[in-house]
Amino acid sequence: MPEWLLKDENYVPQGDKDTFINKSILSLLGVLSRIRAQGGYKTDRLAVNPTLKVGFTVLLVVLLSISRSFAFVIFINVYLLAALCLLKGEEILKILKTSFAVAAFTFIILLPSVFWGNYYSICMITPKVFATVTAVNMLSHSTKWNAITGAVKSFFVPDIFILVLDITIKYIFLLGEFSLNMLYSLKLRSVGKNGDKYTSLSGVAGTMFIKSKEMAEDMYSAMECRGFTGEYRRYQKIKFTFADFLYIMIHMAIIFVFIYLERA
Amino acid sequence: MHIPDNYLSPSTCAVVGAAMVPVWAVAVNKVKKEITKAKMPLLGVGAAFSFLIMMFNVPLPGGTTGHAVGGTLLAILLGPWSACISLTIALLLQALLFGDGGILAFGANAFNMAFVLPFVGYFIYKFIKDRVKSEKGEYLGIALGSYFGINAAALLAAIEFGIQPLLFKNAAGQPLYCPYPLSVSIPAMVIPHLLVAGFVEVLFTVAIVAFIKRVSPGILYEGAKQKTRPLYGLIAALICLSPLGLLATGTAWGEWGSDEIAQVVSGGKALGFTPQGMKNGFSFESLIPDYAVKGLPDVAGYILSAVAGAAVLILLFKIIGSVKKNKTENISG
Amino acid sequence: MIDLKDVSYSYSGIKALSHIDLHISKGEAVVLMGPNGSGKSTLLKIINGIAVPDSGVYRFNGEEITQKKLQDTKFSKLFHQKIGFVFQNSEVQLFCPDVFDEIAFGPRQMGMSETQVQQRVDDCLELLSIQDLKHRQPYHLSGGEKRKVAIACVLALNPEVLTLDEPMNGLDPRTQRWLVEFLVRLNRAGKTLISSMHNLEMVQEISRRAVLFDENHTIVADCPTRDLLEDMDLLKKVNLVDEYYHKHDGSGHSHFHIHSSPFHED
Repeated sequence: MPEWLLKDENYVPQGDKDTFINKSILSLLGVLSRIRAQGGYKTDRLAVNPTLKVGFTVLLVVLLSISRSFAFVIFINVYLLAALCLLKGEEILKILKTSFAVAAFTFIILLPSVFWGNYYSICMITPKVFATVTAVNMLSHSTKWNAITGAVKSFFVPDIFILVLDITIKYIFLLGEFSLNMLYSLKLRSVGKNGDKYTSLSGVAGTMFIKSKEMAEDMYSAMECRGFTGEYRRYQKIKFTFADFLYIMIHMAIIFVFIYLERA
Repeated sequence: MHIPDNYLSPSTCAVVGAAMVPVWAVAVNKVKKEITKAKMPLLGVGAAFSFLIMMFNVPLPGGTTGHAVGGTLLAILLGPWSACISLTIALLLQALLFGDGGILAFGANAFNMAFVLPFVGYFIYKFIKDRVKSEKGEYLGIALGSYFGINAAALLAAIEFGIQPLLFKNAAGQPLYCPYPLSVSIPAMVIPHLLVAGFVEVLFTVAIVAFIKRVSPGILYEGAKQKTRPLYGLIAALICLSPLGLLATGTAWGEWGSDEIAQVVSGGKALGFTPQGMKNGFSFESLIPDYAVKGLPDVAGYILSAVAGAAVLILLFKIIGSVKKNKTENISG
Repeated sequence: MIDLKDVSYSYSGIKALSHIDLHISKGEAVVLMGPNGSGKSTLLKIINGIAVPDSGVYRFNGEEITQKKLQDTKFSKLFHQKIGFVFQNSEVQLFCPDVFDEIAFGPRQMGMSETQVQQRVDDCLELLSIQDLKHRQPYHLSGGEKRKVAIACVLALNPEVLTLDEPMNGLDPRTQRWLVEFLVRLNRAGKTLISSMHNLEMVQEISRRAVLFDENHTIVADCPTRDLLEDMDLLKKVNLVDEYYHKHDGSGHSHFHIHSSPFHED
């Protein structure tokens, strides 16, 4: 045993500006917890066929985007708030947090235009952005993600592409956990002033890349062992429930309101 | 850099998205040639990497941090066509599942960040690397490629924003989407990218490529020697485009100058500006009732307000309920 | 030295630790045992300040560790110097281009001169008998070599407490044997050791004290290791072993032991 190891270290650290580690950890944690939450979703809420959900959410986004009627934008916002009531409290909180944050950002971005006498933009685009973000986040918070990627199939997207999407989500999680632990370890060992932060950061990101290559090779071998030849079919059960019927009716009504309000 | 929905008109999104379709088609074909069909799913791992790269915060002088997009990095690591597909998938998941970037604007975002960024970056890198045959030359290529790659993407996004008020106005002449003309959008987007984000991208890209070259040089993408013809074509196109951008800004600046500034100047100092703002303030007051009356019968308006009020109350109770529940769980559990 | 009072923790609603009370004194060696997912790794994360308890108090050297304190850079850097963590997956700990840089990462940050750093790195390399890896790239080492480098780069900080998450995982028997003896030496040199472990044969050689978790994420036993290993019913109850598990002899000794270990003298 070397002598220094037998004594306690008498060390007074210097401060260092290395918030990039904490910030990277936080953004990774955000993504990972979103994916982890997938395991906990129950299907009893908004149990509408995911294809319908994806389709009508996109429709809603299109209608909002082309609408010139303030009344329609407000109508959609009210509808979304009402629909939001069907979700769980914590989900609502997460969705609304994002919506308000994005809307506030939009408001600030558009604020200068007010000084040029343009009130239309800030009045229309801010609530439109709020509604769009709410609609998309409602979709992603109330639907299992593999159902969303599967729903894309109904829009003539090849099956192999959906497989790639699912693999991407899975590997975002795997590689994300890996890099999260690397960042933790970087953080634990950053006990003083890091003179070369770029080398550390590139070590983490570069190792993630090498690891991703290795994982890809492993996955390919595993798939080959299971007889994968590049053909992939995604099977879907199509059931039509009362909830689906209701959902279609609501959106028919929205289209009707849109036409009614825009005709002027 | 992720353009959200409602800033671009759906038609702009459609046009740019349509421009992306042949790019995707060629990319899929190219990638199929480079890797076998059975290896296609591996693109998912590349996409996961591109997604995660955007999560990293890069340290900047003074202790602040910035985000890198990593488009040029991916093009250098995976080759530009694979990078295009990987970035497209990453952007799609961001739009669809994480609410980052618009769904309608997905085509535009893909065009800027999955096509223009990696290709401009890669071609500049390759152009320099093939001519300056030394390690220095290669890193110079990486640095310039990543710098101009992200700036080209930013310029493009700025142009997409900036043409909105020119093309899409309502009857009253007010812009329907992004209200800022090229004279505002280009400096607002490009200056921060030229001064900060471009260098973040350079530092990030150079450091990571250097690390991987040192640790695992074998896994880097080795592109075939680039034919110079398409490259010169691209550079020529860029050269043609840049004065176009300047021209556009120039005229827009002129317009803005003659109208707005003259008004402010002729109105005289600060006082001249305030009454104008107030005048518009009144028209703002009238905007909502005007719309409400024109579009919606009174009864419907009341019902709508009632639903909104009820929904807000329910949401509030549910959120409070969930927060309380969490707290008690923490205490008891 | 380490003091946890009524500590609970959960990951986005999923419980990981429930009402943990644990006190560890300076110079002790403690092994955390329990089935997969019982909360051992989470506890190590809390001890290292990577996670902060949802409720309850964690004190290190008498000072409460809170989110707020960890945000103070100087405090958190000193805290991280005093307590080292060897991750379960050694791969995640290695992010430098070569082994020398990897081990020098900590000492360099601590403001040592380059000759001091050299000395310390050489000491660490020798301590773990990995001198020949000095200029290799960590990523391409074998599993056992990676573990040794990871331990070396944590030791280079000279922490007072060393925490190890499943240090025996993925090692061949010879390297496991070596690591057991190395940990005993470290403990005798005065380092406090906390490790989570599955390998029942090796547990009693590393530490006299064992802490057992059950699947409800609570501590169900905190006693001398030998007593715990005798209590087959309890080990079965927490699903750590099944009925087919048996000791190699009835005296409480297992096949593997080193007689030079001080822990067998009592």
